[in-house]
Parts: sequence; structure tokens; C-alpha cells
Amino acid sequence: MAIVELENVKKVYTLGKAEVHAVRGVSFSIEKGDFASIVGPSGSGKSTILNLIGCIDQPTEGVVSINGTRTEGLKDKALTTLRHETLGFIFQSFNLIPVLNVYENIEFPLLLGKNRPGKKGIKEWIEFLVEAVGLADHMHHKSNELSGGQRQRVAIARALATKPEIVLADEPTANLDSKTGQSIIELMKKMNSELNTTFIFSTHDRTIMEIADHVIELLDGLIVEDSKRSVEAGSIS
Amino acid sequence: MFLTMKVAFRNISRQKKRSFLLAGAIAFGMLAITLMNALTGGAVVNIRDNFSHALGGHVFITGREWTDAGQMIMKIRPDVNLDRLLEDNASQIEAFTKRSQAMPSLIFGSQQTMHIVYGVDFAEEDKLLDSLVVTEGSLDELGANDDVIILPQPVGERLGVEVGETILIRLETLTGQQNVDEVKVAAFIKDQEELGLSAAYTSRSYLNTLLGMDPHEYQILNMFVTDLDLVDGFAKTFREGLRTSEEEGEKDDEPEVTVTVAGVPMDPMTEPEEITRWEGTRYQVMNINQIMEAVELIVGVLNQVGLVIFLILLVVTMVGITNTFRMMMIERTKEIGTMRAFGMHQKQVKRIFLWEAVFLGLLGCLAGLVLSGLIALVVGSISLNADPSLQFFLNNGKITFRLPIGSVILNTSLVVFTSLLAAYWPARAAAKMSPMKALSSHT
Repeated sequence: MAIVELENVKKVYTLGKAEVHAVRGVSFSIEKGDFASIVGPSGSGKSTILNLIGCIDQPTEGVVSINGTRTEGLKDKALTTLRHETLGFIFQSFNLIPVLNVYENIEFPLLLGKNRPGKKGIKEWIEFLVEAVGLADHMHHKSNELSGGQRQRVAIARALATKPEIVLADEPTANLDSKTGQSIIELMKKMNSELNTTFIFSTHDRTIMEIADHVIELLDGLIVEDSKRSVEAGSIS
Repeated sequence: MFLTMKVAFRNISRQKKRSFLLAGAIAFGMLAITLMNALTGGAVVNIRDNFSHALGGHVFITGREWTDAGQMIMKIRPDVNLDRLLEDNASQIEAFTKRSQAMPSLIFGSQQTMHIVYGVDFAEEDKLLDSLVVTEGSLDELGANDDVIILPQPVGERLGVEVGETILIRLETLTGQQNVDEVKVAAFIKDQEELGLSAAYTSRSYLNTLLGMDPHEYQILNMFVTDLDLVDGFAKTFREGLRTSEEEGEKDDEPEVTVTVAGVPMDPMTEPEEITRWEGTRYQVMNINQIMEAVELIVGVLNQVGLVIFLILLVVTMVGITNTFRMMMIERTKEIGTMRAFGMHQKQVKRIFLWEAVFLGLLGCLAGLVLSGLIALVVGSISLNADPSLQFFLNNGKITFRLPIGSVILNTSLVVFTSLLAAYWPARAAAKMSPMKALSSHT
């Protein structure tokens, strides 16, 4: 079942008098539980597509469906609720809230919704996530007391806090050294397998790309390759 | 709500210097208005107390009657009705004094001056004796001899008399005859001559003799009440209780205090053509609040001026807050985008900024109040050797600060309201920001 569907999506930005065609008409779908990678060089439209899937931007043309909900015409309130209930985000520069500690950063998305679990439930879940990302000893540290890799681990835990169907990660390893980047991708993959959460991440790193079971390659706002494979079997379809 | 409050509260400590400066500006405004309110509040209480001491009470009853010769005189005779009222309301009366008064010429050698003299029963005037500041001589002789007088220092200086010397006292009796006697100066006291409260004191029985009254008669009954808040009702009880059947239907209102003689409240005399003679004694009941109305009016104006200055300071601070919040909004653009991406609604983003404004305002108010308290504590402990006129505003030479809780609430509400107003537009702009643009920002 497709959890994300894009049909002939176009996105045009206006910069002064000039029009920039960031996405020129792409169609693809991502299945639930996919570990999908959107790859391509800078300016190919990776981030724009992630923004459209993340409901923080609207297409100029075409249809974006998230978990069966078409996003066009939705008001800000509905889009915000959809983001909160369905999506999690991991950013290139981590984007932790500096005044909150590790525990509070992870707890943050949980406190935004109306139907939040009880205090005890929240605590147990966050402790599980902190443990899972290997930061049990840093629970009460502020973000400026953590390394880049640790911050990204917090961001992964935060993205998973609301148990979203989809986690979007925009170049999650770009600000990390290759070893840390590898471990972050492995962590994401582990979470993908254990929680059956769909991960969609953008990257231009070939080694990271290889771990994905669904690769969408972009060039100049168009899909040049949409391939699915069984990672275990190593076969590409 | 709790999340937005928590983030807002933490944000305050993010840029400590900036928050300190903003809260400091608010604190300065709060300090100024609080001190002004507390100073005037204290002054009102002190003036009321000093008036009460100087006039010998909170409620003043005078009696008038017509003589056979057609003269109206001020006199209170023994009256069963008045005694009953005193007895019935005894629980509300802290103390009462009976006084006579005159405006005689005081003569020493070639110098002469007219001055108000109260005839008091020194044995029952503890409050008066406590409040008198003796500059020369002693009050010890008062109980032993009747024909002694206590003079305000300036009066003694005008006459050129020394303590222990004898002066002449010349006055008209109640029925208009001239009377002269010798009286010894027992002491000089500080007074508030500039405020028209300068008075000399002698024994009531002695002054009664000079005025042609019996020793047990008097002209003013002064009462200290136990609860000043109830003074209006208390005075009304006496006013109604002492009204004669003839007076019923004449006028119902409280008499207006438009004339004071040496600070003594006097109802303006009715126009001669309107005077109709009456039998027996008619009473007039005044209370301290009627005298304080003018003072409170001045204090009210002062407080209004203070409030205007405070509002000007707030407007200036408001501009600063708006600018700072705009800066904060720009600095936190990416953070706002992140929070929006995770599902924070626009109104929640707005709330974070507004809570910050509330916290800053409250912090400023708290700092202003604490600083005012400290200043009040230090200034209030200093004994001032001020002019007699200034002494009237003081409590035993010390400035008193009294801050009504109502003005604290009003000023704090004003600060919080203006802080909210100042932060509203930046908060709204932050809330309206597109999550995508916010996330792609480089700040």
C-alpha cells in the first residue's frame, strides 16, 4: 500500500521576476515500511520534494497524497495536524531546540497534540527511544553539550516520538563525518526495521544510498530513475 | 499551554543581558510609579494622623445655641441625648476629648498677636501630649496649674517671650464682653503654622472661665474612632442621633467643610437673612474624611501625573520590546520552522512570544517592587530634620511609604498589557511565517 503518492507534481518558485522550476512533474509512490532515498545533485529538487511530502510546502501543480490524504487545498491548521500525526522530521543541521535538554527535545512533539499519552507513558516511551539511540547517559544534557552525531541521534529519537507513519530526513548525514554518518543511517535503518516506520531521506552520498531499498534519483527536477530492491537479496527491480 | 510557557520561560534566560536590560527598563518605570504611589499613600495616612492629633480626633461635634440677647454662641451643655449616643457607640470610640476654643490676643510687652487657643483637659489628652514636640520648657507643670499656656515656638518668638514668663491674654467672652488675664508660658512646641494648624493650649477650665462658661461645659467634642474605615458611618449615626425635630427636613446632606479656623472644620455660616432662631442646642458633626477630601484630591492629581509619566516610560519601553522581539523572531526563524514542522500550530508559536512578554513584564514589575521596597526601607528609616510644614507629611520625622495593593495590581496589569501589546505584532509575524521559508532560513 502506498503511503506517499506524488502525481505529476510541479513546483515553481518566483525569485524576483524569474521563475525557478524546482520540480518539473514527478510521479512516484512509496510503500509503507520503505527505507527510501531521494538522491541527486544540488538543485535537483530533493529538498523541494521532501518539503512537499512533509506538508511544509504546497505543489504548484499535481497531487501529493500522504497516508491517503490529498494535501492540496488543506488549510494551515489541517496541514499542521497532518504533520503532527503522520510525519517526523530529521534535519541536516539537527535543529534541536536549544533551551530544552535531550529528554525535553524528544518529548516536545508529544506535547503538541491534543491526544497525548499519560505522563508515565510518555516517560517510558522517551526512555525507550533514548536507550535505542544510545543516549541514556545524556538525557539531561542541552544540545550545545552534545557532539554532532549525538545531536542527530536526538533528532532521530524526536522524529520517532509521536510514532509517525513517515520520517523525512533531509541530508541527515551532510554535517557529520562519514563514520558518524554511517552509524546514523544504520540507526535509521534499525528503527525502520523495528518500528516499521517509513523513512524517506535525501542524500547525495553514494554509500548511504546503497542501504536504501527504494531509490529515487533526480536530475533538474525530473526523476531519472525509480528503483526498488530487496537489500538482503541485493536485487534491483 | 504548559509547553509554550516552558519554552517561553527558558527563552528569557537565553540572552541574559538582553532580558536584563528589557526587564530593567520596565523595573525602572515600576520603581518610579511605585515610589510615587507609596509616598503619596504614606503622606495621606500621615496627614490624616497628624490632623487627628492636631484636631484631637476623627469626628468633631460642635454645638450652637442662641442667647437671650439674640447672639448665637458655640457651646455644648450637658445633654442626655449626646451622653446616650456616646454610651451606645462606646465600642467604636477609642477616646474622646472635650475642648473649648478661642481666638484671643496674646500680648507681651509691646508685642501682640492673635492666635487660636484650645482649652483642653490635659488629663484626658494623652494623644495630644504624645504628639506635641516640646522645643523649650516642660509639660510637667500642666497638671498642677490651670493658668499656664503652651505656645507654638514661632508665636513665642513673635512675642519675644521666654518660657516661664507671663503674657496677657485678651479675648471676648461668649456674650461679647472683653476679658483680660495673665497666663504663664509653660513650654514652646513645634507646630505646622504654614498649614494653618498652629494652636496654643491651655486648660479647658481656665479658658472656660475666661469665656464665661461653666468649667464642665465645652465647645467641641472630639472622638477618636477604633476603625477609621467606618468613620463616615459613625459620624452619620451621631449626625442623625443629634438632629432635633425642627431640623428634620431642613437639609439632609453632610455639611461641607469650606471654612477652617486654625484647621478646625467649620461649617460656613448661613447667610444672615436665612437664619431662624431655634431653641436649645443644634449640633454639627464633621469627620476627618471631610477634611481629607482636599488632601486626597491633591494626592489623586499627583498620582495621575505619576501615572502619565509611567505610561510615557512604558510607551518608550514598548518600542524597545517591539524591536527586541522582532530581533528575537529573526534569530529564531529556523527554530520556529522546526516547531511548526513537528506540528506546532500558529497560535502556539504566537503564545510562546506572548508568554515571554508576560514573563518579562512580571519580572520587571517584581524587580521594580523589590527595589522600591528596599529604597522605602532605607529612606523610611532616616529621621529628617525638616521644616515644620514638611513635618506634617511625616510620621515622627520619618517618611512613610504605604502602597495600596490596588495600585500594585493596576500598575502590574498595565505593564503586562503594554508588554503584550508590544510583543503582539512580532509574535503574529512569527506565527504567520511559512514553515518552509523558516526552515530554509540561514539564521
